[in-house]
Amino acid sequence: MFAFLARSFVQKMVTLFFVSIVSFLIIHLAPGKPSQIDPMNPKFTPEVMERFQKEFHLNKPLHQQYLLFYSGLLSGKIVSWKDSRPVLPKIWERFLNSLPLFIVGTILTWTISFPLGIRGAIFRGGWFDRSSTLAAYVLISIPGFFFAYLLIILVVSSLHVPVIGMKTFGLQYSSVLHWIMDHLWHLILPSVLGASAGVAVLSRYVRNQMLEVEGRDYVRTAVAKGLTPDQVHYKHALRNALLPFVTMFGLILPGLIGGSVIIESIFSWPGMGRMAYEAILARDYPVILTVNFISAVLVLTGTFVSDLLYMLVDPRIRL
Amino acid sequence: MFVKRFLILAPFLLLLVLLQSYFWVPSYEEQTRGNPGRLEEFITASIGDASLLNPILSADSASSDIQGKVFEGLIDLDENLDYRGRLARSWDISEQAFFYVRPEKPVPEQGAMSPDALLNFLREQVEKSGDYPQPLQESLENIAALSLDSPDKYQASLSLAGQDDPQVFQVEPPDRIVLDLLEVDPELFENLTLLLGEAYFQEFPAFRHVRSESDLDPGQLKAAASKLLPGYEHNPVIVFHLRDQVRFHDGHLFDAQDVKFTYESIVNPRNLSPRVSDYEPVKAVHVLDDLTVKIVYKRLYSPALMTWSIGILPEHLLNRQALDREAESRGKDPDDFFMRDSRFNRSPVGCGPFQFETWESDQYIRLDSFAEYWDGEPNYASYAYRIVPDLLTQEMEFYAGTLDAYSVQPHQVERLKTDPRFQSFSGTSFGYTYIGYNSRREPFDDSRVRRALSLALDVDRIIKYVLYGQGERITGPFVKQTEYYNQDIKPLPYDPEKALQLLARAGWTRNSQGWLEKDGRILQFTLITNTGNDIRKSILAIVQDFWRRIGIKVSTDTLEWSVFIQERVNKLDFDALVLGWNMGIEPDLYQIWHSSQADPHELNFVGFDDPKADALIVDIRQEYDKERQIEACHRLHEIIAREQPYTFLYVSKWTALLDKRIVIKDLDADGEVVYKKIRPTKTGDYSFYFNKWVKRPTVPDFAAE
Repeated sequence: MFAFLARSFVQKMVTLFFVSIVSFLIIHLAPGKPSQIDPMNPKFTPEVMERFQKEFHLNKPLHQQYLLFYSGLLSGKIVSWKDSRPVLPKIWERFLNSLPLFIVGTILTWTISFPLGIRGAIFRGGWFDRSSTLAAYVLISIPGFFFAYLLIILVVSSLHVPVIGMKTFGLQYSSVLHWIMDHLWHLILPSVLGASAGVAVLSRYVRNQMLEVEGRDYVRTAVAKGLTPDQVHYKHALRNALLPFVTMFGLILPGLIGGSVIIESIFSWPGMGRMAYEAILARDYPVILTVNFISAVLVLTGTFVSDLLYMLVDPRIRL
Repeated sequence: MFVKRFLILAPFLLLLVLLQSYFWVPSYEEQTRGNPGRLEEFITASIGDASLLNPILSADSASSDIQGKVFEGLIDLDENLDYRGRLARSWDISEQAFFYVRPEKPVPEQGAMSPDALLNFLREQVEKSGDYPQPLQESLENIAALSLDSPDKYQASLSLAGQDDPQVFQVEPPDRIVLDLLEVDPELFENLTLLLGEAYFQEFPAFRHVRSESDLDPGQLKAAASKLLPGYEHNPVIVFHLRDQVRFHDGHLFDAQDVKFTYESIVNPRNLSPRVSDYEPVKAVHVLDDLTVKIVYKRLYSPALMTWSIGILPEHLLNRQALDREAESRGKDPDDFFMRDSRFNRSPVGCGPFQFETWESDQYIRLDSFAEYWDGEPNYASYAYRIVPDLLTQEMEFYAGTLDAYSVQPHQVERLKTDPRFQSFSGTSFGYTYIGYNSRREPFDDSRVRRALSLALDVDRIIKYVLYGQGERITGPFVKQTEYYNQDIKPLPYDPEKALQLLARAGWTRNSQGWLEKDGRILQFTLITNTGNDIRKSILAIVQDFWRRIGIKVSTDTLEWSVFIQERVNKLDFDALVLGWNMGIEPDLYQIWHSSQADPHELNFVGFDDPKADALIVDIRQEYDKERQIEACHRLHEIIAREQPYTFLYVSKWTALLDKRIVIKDLDADGEVVYKKIRPTKTGDYSFYFNKWVKRPTVPDFAAE
């Protein structure tokens, strides 16, 4: 057990090191320059650009830039080029904004998908299965931004209420309750949108996984024992079908930081995804690289957690 | 079964909690629900963020919107587009002119005269009501005082053609006679030649008073001297009488030093002000007393007055001492710290109706009303300027009541203009779209060909289908709703037959394949425009089709904006292009239409060259009398419409929606509050009385009116 932990830790550190190098190289090899030193930008004179180059260490060789950046990151001193604010507090602030979206979206996805998928598997080929399959494929294939716009237009033109942003603009609240309710209302559309795509995919997985399990001997035994259908499907069958979802559950961690670029952009949600997207457009290297680094850490942590979870749910697995 | 119940109930309950919040949020109809302050605030939106909130440093539209609320200029334009005093109570425009005395030159009927004799002679002419022709008589009556003046010698440098370093010259000007004029008189010297003889002013031998340190051949010296020391000069003078007891938002009193400081900041090369060219004709700004500023100009330049609508900066916050203090407190080097680096540009202080509150980059800028505004505190307590980059989002936010105004896209006008929920305003914009022909190239050097190309286009259909009817024909280069625009000129009709006749007269006839041909060459060229503007792209295709119908082989191309401007327009490398101009109210067309502005990187890129038009353009910018200016504009408009250097296509119409509950709140004669409907001014500006706007909880009933 301890040996596994140690081995796994070393492996992950090595991976992280390579990720840091590769992402650093990709950013610098990508076309385009930080907007502060873009020669096409008429706002900047050559002197200003030179000053920025120096300030951002862009005039130094790549390996030195690499060392400067990561030592800055690890000591927490790295600042965004766009607004000169420290990157870590900036990310933390945006992360807190993204968190409610993530939590509501995850709860909805990881609850609704199971009853949907299981019912589809039990009554395979029935009307419920067919219509849920159709709905799932519609949701998977419809482009997210398009669906988002449809929903926004529908809600705004029928209800005449604001849905953009994290709260109603300029609201000077008459009570705390109004504050809470306003924030809740603005959560609905983006989180439901995010969840709808998740439900569509996950319920398909659940259905397939359940189909595989439902034909097994122990399920037949449970039915023969005279257990209620719910007990058969939700206890005996589901437990054995759960294994692959453990991996998937570990991998939702990085979703925390990536957020949803498209949804956050459309809804002007000041979250992580939108920040990363805007940083890429402005070639704000410190922000891009930090977000990249943190998500790499989260992916590795996620796989590590799912390894541990495996051990927990499947006693046959020994690490 | 617990698991099943949990998996179904949990999301159901969660959604229920979320959905019930609908009953708490404000809707369009009930904007005050949970938000009582909503009626006190005006919210508007922009596509892009502001850059620097300093009127002399930035000129983009978002920054200008905010600067217009925070800063105040000396003057602005009233509802009829006439000048109106703001920080200036009133102003006088007069002139000081001078000419150098030429003792050696005989004056008709008087012979050679010493400077003193000449002065006395002129004084006599001014005093006696002689029987001179009318124009000279008027010029003489306009002279308030005459004096003799011996200027000091000075050093001047000038860059000569073909030399890198500027040459230094010693200038020793002769005695001069200074004339104080009651009004600006552009014809003064022309009229005085009746007294002093032809060529007294024009042939002033400047080279006798200018010495060069290095060896220059006489021709070069002569040219340089006449540039350095012209025989006479008009110095128009504007004296502004400033309003008393006007305060900046920080409580500091506004005075004449602030005006002088604003001017000096603009012309300070370190500040890289984009407005510097407007103030280049200024010779000096003198502070006469705390509330009087005198501005002297180097030459006749009638657009000068309008430049004083620039927001006045508070000197006490931005002068060298203030900047040094700021640099020190921020740990920067004071020697390398200028106005552009100051925090002022992100938290400005002016003396406009609204004072700056907050600016969240890429989110919003919020202003609060300024209680001590000299013209009365605005009715709105605050003004919010949101940055919403997406047009659809703007529209949705407007429907939801979190924006108070929305600029309607052309295709939505029909649907939204009559929507009973909103009040709508529309007008024509201050700009036009055109096709420009490079008149340096065949066949565009022939005005018949350009006219034929215009005749072959059915512009009305372009307006109908590309702009959804949201445009108007335009025939010339002036703003259509001003008096400078000549309404008598009718747009060219769609007449392909006549176009072919004109082309035939120019030598182009259709060949066997149907193409127009002259001397064995087919009439073919490329029409270009920039990418990213769908309307221009559509125009490109439609125009190509119209011209092909009469046998012109047109190919089209769209280029990325910077390539389009830098490689094609600036280098004059194009046949014909589709482009647009945005214009100010001032009728100054020098940069776009004068033949001296036709070199690479200049704005007369079509190469329009007409001596009569050139003379009119110069007259217009030197004429201080509005009636005569309008007359000259009408003649210029006629020439340009006849020559067709552009095919003037259209000026687009704008439509704006406003929440119907926004009204004008005013006091009537008895001091009672009255609510009035917002009406646009003659020029279509509906926000002219913005400071009197306020939002009511319900749509008011104006039936009583």
